[in-house]
Amino acid sequence: MPLSMVQEGDEVKIHCVGCGFGLKRRLCDLGLYDGTKVQIVKNDISGPIILKVKDSKLVLGRGQALKIMVEEGGRE
Amino acid sequence: MAKTFKIALAGNPNCGKTTLFNNLTGMRQHVGNWPGKTVEKKEGSFTYKGRKIDVIDLPGTYSLTAYSIEEVIARDYIIEQSPDIVVNIVDACNLERNLYLTAQLIELGANVVLALNMNKFACRKGLKIDEKKLSELLGIHVIKIEAVDKTGKEELIESVLKTTSSGKKSENRITYGREIEEHLAQLEEVVKGCIVLNENISPKWLALKLIEKDKQVIKKVSDLKNGKEVLEKAGVIQKHLSEVFGEDVDAAIADARYGFIAGMLKESVEKPGIDKLTMSDNIDKIVTNRILGIPLFLIMMYLMFQITFTAAAPLMELVDGLMGFLAEQSIALLTSLACPDWLISLVADGIIGGVGSVIIFLPNILLLFLMISFLEDSGYMARAAFIMDRVMHKIGLHGKSFIPMILGFGCNVPAIMATRTLENKRDRILTILINPFMSCGARLPVYVLFVSAFFSNNQGLVIFSLYILGIIIAIIMGLIFKKTLFKGSSAPFVMELPPYRFPTFKGTVIHMWERGRVFLIKAGTIIFSVVLVIWFLGSVPFGVEYASEQSVIGMIGKTIAPIFKPLGFGTWQASVSLIFGVLAKEVVVGTLGTLYGVAEEGLGTVLAQTFTPLTAYAFMVFTLLYIPCVAVLAAIKRETNSWKWMWFSAAYLTAVAWVGAFIVYQGGLLLGFG
Repeated sequence: MPLSMVQEGDEVKIHCVGCGFGLKRRLCDLGLYDGTKVQIVKNDISGPIILKVKDSKLVLGRGQALKIMVEEGGRE
Repeated sequence: MAKTFKIALAGNPNCGKTTLFNNLTGMRQHVGNWPGKTVEKKEGSFTYKGRKIDVIDLPGTYSLTAYSIEEVIARDYIIEQSPDIVVNIVDACNLERNLYLTAQLIELGANVVLALNMNKFACRKGLKIDEKKLSELLGIHVIKIEAVDKTGKEELIESVLKTTSSGKKSENRITYGREIEEHLAQLEEVVKGCIVLNENISPKWLALKLIEKDKQVIKKVSDLKNGKEVLEKAGVIQKHLSEVFGEDVDAAIADARYGFIAGMLKESVEKPGIDKLTMSDNIDKIVTNRILGIPLFLIMMYLMFQITFTAAAPLMELVDGLMGFLAEQSIALLTSLACPDWLISLVADGIIGGVGSVIIFLPNILLLFLMISFLEDSGYMARAAFIMDRVMHKIGLHGKSFIPMILGFGCNVPAIMATRTLENKRDRILTILINPFMSCGARLPVYVLFVSAFFSNNQGLVIFSLYILGIIIAIIMGLIFKKTLFKGSSAPFVMELPPYRFPTFKGTVIHMWERGRVFLIKAGTIIFSVVLVIWFLGSVPFGVEYASEQSVIGMIGKTIAPIFKPLGFGTWQASVSLIFGVLAKEVVVGTLGTLYGVAEEGLGTVLAQTFTPLTAYAFMVFTLLYIPCVAVLAAIKRETNSWKWMWFSAAYLTAVAWVGAFIVYQGGLLLGFG
């Protein structure tokens, strides 16, 4: 399931960051890479989403969020 | 005397790096640009126990790859200038991510001291950080500080000095996994055997970067003697490792770094069982709300402009008075010295009048920038970028382009400079091209003059309509550009939302001043030279009255006046005032005064004889949209690094202005407003 479909408040685990090389590296620098647990703080029907990665909040454009696949059950 | 000591500050954006820099150096700082780059370089110094210590504020970065200019600058500085110590500021509330940069600084072979900032917030979150343990594990000094006050400042400086005198470099303790380590060691040997390295570069770091396929490092190595051999070997290892990991090797390396960090934090930080909702979270619930977000933002902007214009008015009068006084005094002085008339006119009309007409906006602009800096430093602007992303998306930009737009209402020059925060060139140029439609402070006096003369019943509304018109046209042009010149997609939108913080007074003032300074410099340099040219054109042939119908500029005005005929203001006076307006848009007002030979107070009455409400509105629309002032043109040239874009914007903005005013005037006539 793409990150953009996760509901507000849910915690998920990043499965695969399927975007371009440059962005992938940047997201990794920001702490978001395969296996990271993230919490969706804000996800409206359109527009960018806000997620909590490690201890920071990131804004991610919807287009980018579409390309990041996640698996449910980030909560242990 | 002991040799000066050089420390560099490195850290993530929003970790308090600039606050620490301000705290250490006070106002003794120098802001410039990194050579050949449009990235700001800040340097300063302070004296500690009789030793002079130079401080350089490296650009805020999350990492040290070669993917952004900022990162390359920070990295090159550390390698080439080899500062005695790199002080790495980290946010104690967000250690895991912040230490990622630390890990890379240590890899690079920098001599690192870690300044642990924002401990109060970390405490409030329930984090217990054992800095001694952390220091032990990392192998570097770790000092707890609060960048906003003096907490830990002395310990930090002391440990910086101690670290240098010990002469030991920070050692890299990250383990990258057996497979990578083995090949890394192999490549390191090849590097050592083949190429001679600058002593600041660690061979292990170089090997690591080659495995990570770092473009900049690869290029540098290929220029070296025997560099090919090294690259070949690196290629073989690369290939082998990708087969093993079945993915990018750099992901595995990043994993190793994060693994190292996580392991360290497990031993040195106690976390509370559940995450508490912080104050920031609660504010965000309201501020980023889908329904409330935009109205709240608009109210905030409205208040900001109200405060600016109300508070700045008396200050502007003060500056105006001062300029008038200066002009009078210099006329008196020059007359008493029996200077020729042309010289008196040059000083009074040209220099003081011209530059003064720009300086008068200083209060207005500084106040607006003060408030914008406050909103930025508090963390709100990042939320505004989030809220406005949906709107900006429609014109092919994303939320980050929105901040330069807001700055444009103050002055377009710092606004255009603020596009530096945008990552890709397409986004930057598109943002720069539509920025001049944001009606800057200098256009307001033109509106005020015409509105008070022609629309006395609806002054506020008419002015407001012009601001809105600018925004609408920016959107329309953005849409057109998106479909034509800039078909590609915008850079991905990734941005950190920093926690809300109450900005320090000093920090906000320094931030405001950095922007205001730009405005003053433009008044001092570019405008000064253009003022001289225009003054000259207004004065030749010698003997004519300054800027009269017989002067060269009057003749130019007469020649081009027919162009403005279809717009309703085809008089030579209007044309000349528009030419002068290229200096700074509000010069239009002063010029009309000179040309009609009346003081500004009487100007309204005179204008009523040549303008109608409809032509007045068309004239205002033209003033709003046409060629931006010289300072903005210079900023466009500098920021796009191309004359082409500068001339393009001058031409297209003027074309848009002509069409806009034409529609207003001819449409108005058709509707019977003539």
